[in-house]
Amino acid sequence: MTAKKLIRTPVMRAAAAALVGIVAMGALAACSNSGESGDSTGSEPTEVEFWGWVPGLEDLVDQWNDENPDTQVSFHRMTGDDGQKVEAAVDAGAGPDLVQLSTHALPDYVIAERVVDITEYVSDDESNYTPASWASVSFDGHVFGVPQGIGPAGMMYRTDLFEQYGIEVPKTWDEYLDAARALKAANPDAYIANLSPSEIGQWAQEIQQAESSWYGIKDDAWTLGVNDAGSQLVAERWQTLLDEGLVTTEQMWTPEYWALVNNGSIATISYAAWFPSILAENAADLSGKWAVAPLPTNEGSDNSGDSGGAAVVVLKNSKAPEAAAEFASWLNGSDDTQEALITVGGLFPSTTNGLASPALVEDQEFYGGQPINEVFIDAAEHTPATWVEGPNYSAIQSALLDEFAKVINGDQTFLGALDVAQAAGIADLEARGLTVSE
Amino acid sequence: MTAAATTRVSRRRFTGAGAPWVPYAFVAPFAILFLVFLVAPIVVAIVNSLYSRQSSGLGFGGSSLEFVGFDNFVRALTDVDFLIGFPRVVIYGLIQVPLMMVISAGLALLFDTALVKAPRFFQFAIFLPYAVPGVIAALLWGFLYQPSVSPILQFFSGLGIDLDLLAPGTVLGAIANINLWSLIGINMIILFAALQGVPREMYEAARIDGAGELRTALQIKLPMIGPAILLTTLSSVIGTLQLFNEPQVLQSITSNISSDFTPNMAIYATSTLGKDPNLASAMAVILGVATLVVSLGLLAANKRTTKRASDGI
Repeated sequence: MTAKKLIRTPVMRAAAAALVGIVAMGALAACSNSGESGDSTGSEPTEVEFWGWVPGLEDLVDQWNDENPDTQVSFHRMTGDDGQKVEAAVDAGAGPDLVQLSTHALPDYVIAERVVDITEYVSDDESNYTPASWASVSFDGHVFGVPQGIGPAGMMYRTDLFEQYGIEVPKTWDEYLDAARALKAANPDAYIANLSPSEIGQWAQEIQQAESSWYGIKDDAWTLGVNDAGSQLVAERWQTLLDEGLVTTEQMWTPEYWALVNNGSIATISYAAWFPSILAENAADLSGKWAVAPLPTNEGSDNSGDSGGAAVVVLKNSKAPEAAAEFASWLNGSDDTQEALITVGGLFPSTTNGLASPALVEDQEFYGGQPINEVFIDAAEHTPATWVEGPNYSAIQSALLDEFAKVINGDQTFLGALDVAQAAGIADLEARGLTVSE
Repeated sequence: MTAAATTRVSRRRFTGAGAPWVPYAFVAPFAILFLVFLVAPIVVAIVNSLYSRQSSGLGFGGSSLEFVGFDNFVRALTDVDFLIGFPRVVIYGLIQVPLMMVISAGLALLFDTALVKAPRFFQFAIFLPYAVPGVIAALLWGFLYQPSVSPILQFFSGLGIDLDLLAPGTVLGAIANINLWSLIGINMIILFAALQGVPREMYEAARIDGAGELRTALQIKLPMIGPAILLTTLSSVIGTLQLFNEPQVLQSITSNISSDFTPNMAIYATSTLGKDPNLASAMAVILGVATLVVSLGLLAANKRTTKRASDGI
């Protein structure tokens, strides 16, 4: 039951999906790393405990331990339920030195003082990271983590359906609407997309594309923009698609959803760079029928979007914050680790050297031999750095999700849903004593 | 053995058992668990509900725990989404509890007659779902509620009947169905055990007086197992108010169950998603009081009816 809440963050979900296939590898790695530590001569090595979820981290930790006898890292693989465990552990005075975290959750960690300011240890790294990802770990000029992966968006689409009905693959959202109507006219059982009321990541990526943000900072106060112009643009787009019956409305990730995907009811899925591998896994029979195109754009802009990433942060009770930060910096940014993070970890890199790695643009058989990450690299370069992370992301998220369900049932409009979530967000921040500027 | 010896022996045994600490030693394990796992959490929740974690400005300067009196209760009692969960579970309970009690009692009475062949097998079969954990039961039924993976819904679809069991109007019934499936067995066993305790002479007397099976069941058996019926009803009502597992699991397949669908889910969401354990504590205290009031009300109503019944005799 907790899994669902946690699994709403796209990064966790990607991790969970990838985890399934990697359990055996993890077990092997766990076997191989015993009996190597503790035999250094002279002073005791610094010990760093790290909790994370990216597949293949065990091997990278082993590599670090071999090369750095002075700092020995122990790794604990997180499952979906560990999110709340971390908060509880830190608040109780325990917890690991380092933990992997969704960047949406980071402001809460900073406000609750669960993380260490590591500006002095990692400020040299800044130039190696995409501006948006670095912004997601920086608050008030202080750096509280090292980015680990981002979620640039693309549009996966059924090449066969578009060909069969002679419809152009849409490049803008206006063309998307036309394509949706043409598709429905050609085949009443085919829909341009599934509009899942529970999938906030798909919403967020289009909000970012429109250069809007749920949070902002004005002077010394938070501003909230859940119902600002950009969000309203997205709301009106999906309201039209919904009202004209051009989309299905199943909840994503359910057997029902995958049945729709597999029986050819859904022509496009717009989501982050980690989604294609999950699609390939769950729709194996459709191999060769999918391709990836850029996220359709808004009028007069070539922006793409991003649904959020992860970071590795140093927690409050760490006895060796400097060593921990050093390891995080090596793990996420060094040339040694990029290929493994991309190929084994399934991460889309937030680093310049990662984006330049040849491993990123390998041809994908499921996508007709297309090197699909070229699209996502381009998307990462065209993601506006306007998104600001803020406190209690989940309050706004759950308000939106509950209202979106009513939208699907016709009891609410998307525009109305935005107003409800905006009010809920403001009330929540004010109840915490934070300053909110209207 | 003389009478004097008997007295001596029994007196000795009596003094040993009467050492002042002995009963306490026997009660201690319960008392400790009761204090640690029931009283302490209640006290902690009440204390927590009077505080709130406060930051200022952007919040990056840290936070402090401040005494806010009944502010959290005011917030909880003005939160429409939280409050609406109560009538929702009451409606649910008004349908689910009587239905379950009638079916359970009916089955218990049926097994108490000699009409059913292989009663042990059928009792076991009806009881078996109770052994399935609630979360698993909800997962299993969740599959049966999704049209493209459910053989049952596909069968109906083949007949031209498209059922949507997860729509806003039907999802409460879908949850009730899971609980009926799970709990009818245990209630049936409790009532059946109570029936077995009814003196057989009463049935004979009734038969001699000319009462048939049905009349015996309604006018003798059911009143005789009144306390067992009260017990099962009371635990069902409390279970209803605390409804959590089934809707929480079904939430992953339908968006028609909101994060604050039942009071218990709202408390969970407030503490984990909303990250406000103090507000969640206030909500938990409110739910606890509501449960207490309903239970006491039910007991009082029962006492009045039994008194009236005995007065009538």
